[in-house]
Amino acid sequence: MSQVACCECSQSISSGEAYELNGKVYCAPCARTAAERAKAAGQPISVTRYVDKSLCARCSTYIGEGGEVAVGNARLCVACSELVKDWPYPQWLKLSLAGFLLLLVFALIHGRKYFQAGKDLYRGEQLIEKGEYQQALPYLKATMKLAPNSDKGALLTAKAALLSGDVLTAAHVLEGHNNGRFENSDKPDFQEVKRLWDNANAAMDKLQIAAKLEEQDGKEVEAAKLAHEAAAIYPRFPHLDILLDQYDEGVAFAKKDYDTFLALAEKDWNLLPASGSAAMISSALACEYAVTGNATYRQRSEEMLAKAKELAKGDKESLDRLAEFEKRNTYRLETRQIITKSEYDRKFPNPKNSGN
Amino acid sequence: MFFIPGQVIAFLTFPGVIVHEAAHLFFCKLFKLKVFNVCFFRFGNPAGFVIHENSENFTAQFFVSMGPFVVNTVLCVVFCTAAFLPVWELKVNDPLAYFFYWLGLSIGMHAFPSTTDLSHLWKAAPALAKKGNLLAIVSLPLSGVLVVLNYGRVIWADLGYGIAVGVLGPLAIFRAFARM
Repeated sequence: MSQVACCECSQSISSGEAYELNGKVYCAPCARTAAERAKAAGQPISVTRYVDKSLCARCSTYIGEGGEVAVGNARLCVACSELVKDWPYPQWLKLSLAGFLLLLVFALIHGRKYFQAGKDLYRGEQLIEKGEYQQALPYLKATMKLAPNSDKGALLTAKAALLSGDVLTAAHVLEGHNNGRFENSDKPDFQEVKRLWDNANAAMDKLQIAAKLEEQDGKEVEAAKLAHEAAAIYPRFPHLDILLDQYDEGVAFAKKDYDTFLALAEKDWNLLPASGSAAMISSALACEYAVTGNATYRQRSEEMLAKAKELAKGDKESLDRLAEFEKRNTYRLETRQIITKSEYDRKFPNPKNSGN
Repeated sequence: MFFIPGQVIAFLTFPGVIVHEAAHLFFCKLFKLKVFNVCFFRFGNPAGFVIHENSENFTAQFFVSMGPFVVNTVLCVVFCTAAFLPVWELKVNDPLAYFFYWLGLSIGMHAFPSTTDLSHLWKAAPALAKKGNLLAIVSLPLSGVLVVLNYGRVIWADLGYGIAVGVLGPLAIFRAFARM
């Protein structure tokens, strides 16, 4: 550091400690006094750090009268002058930038699977808002595969499942999510799903009781009542209308109202042409034959039974059930006596007997 | 509200400091301004700096001052976009996603230009805004808001900005893409 003399007190001071006021060099105390004096005289005051123009302002290398003006009065040596004109990026920064860009690309690639899952979640949510619950389910299930702990995903999936009658999927999702725990159970979304879930469970309980009652003679009306109550609580079970018709068929059979029995059986056949509904028509027609003796009913009953067997081909369980039913139906057609399954089982004991 | 020394915050979010200063340097070089000294990171206040000459060119002033704000904000959005869904929506315990979120937030937290940079803009903008200079018109409210936010750092306005950008930005991007 070079030395300069204060123009006021002539003291020699280091150039780094000197100040400049109106073109003169001062030490710090004299600069203050001179500034006050200038202020009192109404002169402009501009006290700045003294810049030793013979030294480079950056590296303090002696440059004498040479160097280049960098800014204001400050002079720089050639090397510093080149540096400030085009400050280079450090090597580590360049390497970091390259690494950073790679990281950025990797982050985006890594996030792609989440983006797809999020997109599925969003689509599922949109479809639920439109009331297309069944269509929403595949999207939401795909999301849940990647994010089983997502509260939003679990609630939306359970909602879509419950509103499309898929209680099993709802149970799987809700019980598989953090052991059934949710972060905020006060949220309306959670409350809505809970209400649906509780209703579905209450309805299932009623249907289970109804199924047991239906097997007992004289309990058909009670069973049908419970089934209708279940449907009122949770009307979204698949083929619930057919199930209710089957309970009503049981009631019609018990009340010996075979016309209604036949009408309901035919309605179910039209809704779902399957082995079970074909057998039910066959049963109703056999009842009509037993009551009226009209051979057309008998012929149609046998035709429907044949159709039922045709439809059950390859399904051992259904075929076994039909084989048992065929015996009872044949008994009804041969004897024109209408007895319940329990009565038939008592008359012809067989542990394999099941069905109506 | 709790107090954490600025040096600790700077240390925990050092990538943001480096990106901020690198962006400053980039715009200084772009506008051919003389750069006297650069510090990309240090344990001190400020944690980083770029000492450069002042420019008479308002466009240069604007970009040198606001450049880091834009660069940090954009990078914050990009990194947080990669991590937003697993962290916020899907609740997936993916350490990489949390790393990207930390990186994004660190960068977003250091988006604010310094008060010195903003004061230069603030002084130069009104006269140019009157002449219809678009950048000056934009910079007036922007620098006003940023000055306020800069003072709000004591109540974590910088972290708040990082989180807001790191959540709302990716959310907007995601919603736009998901509709496609």
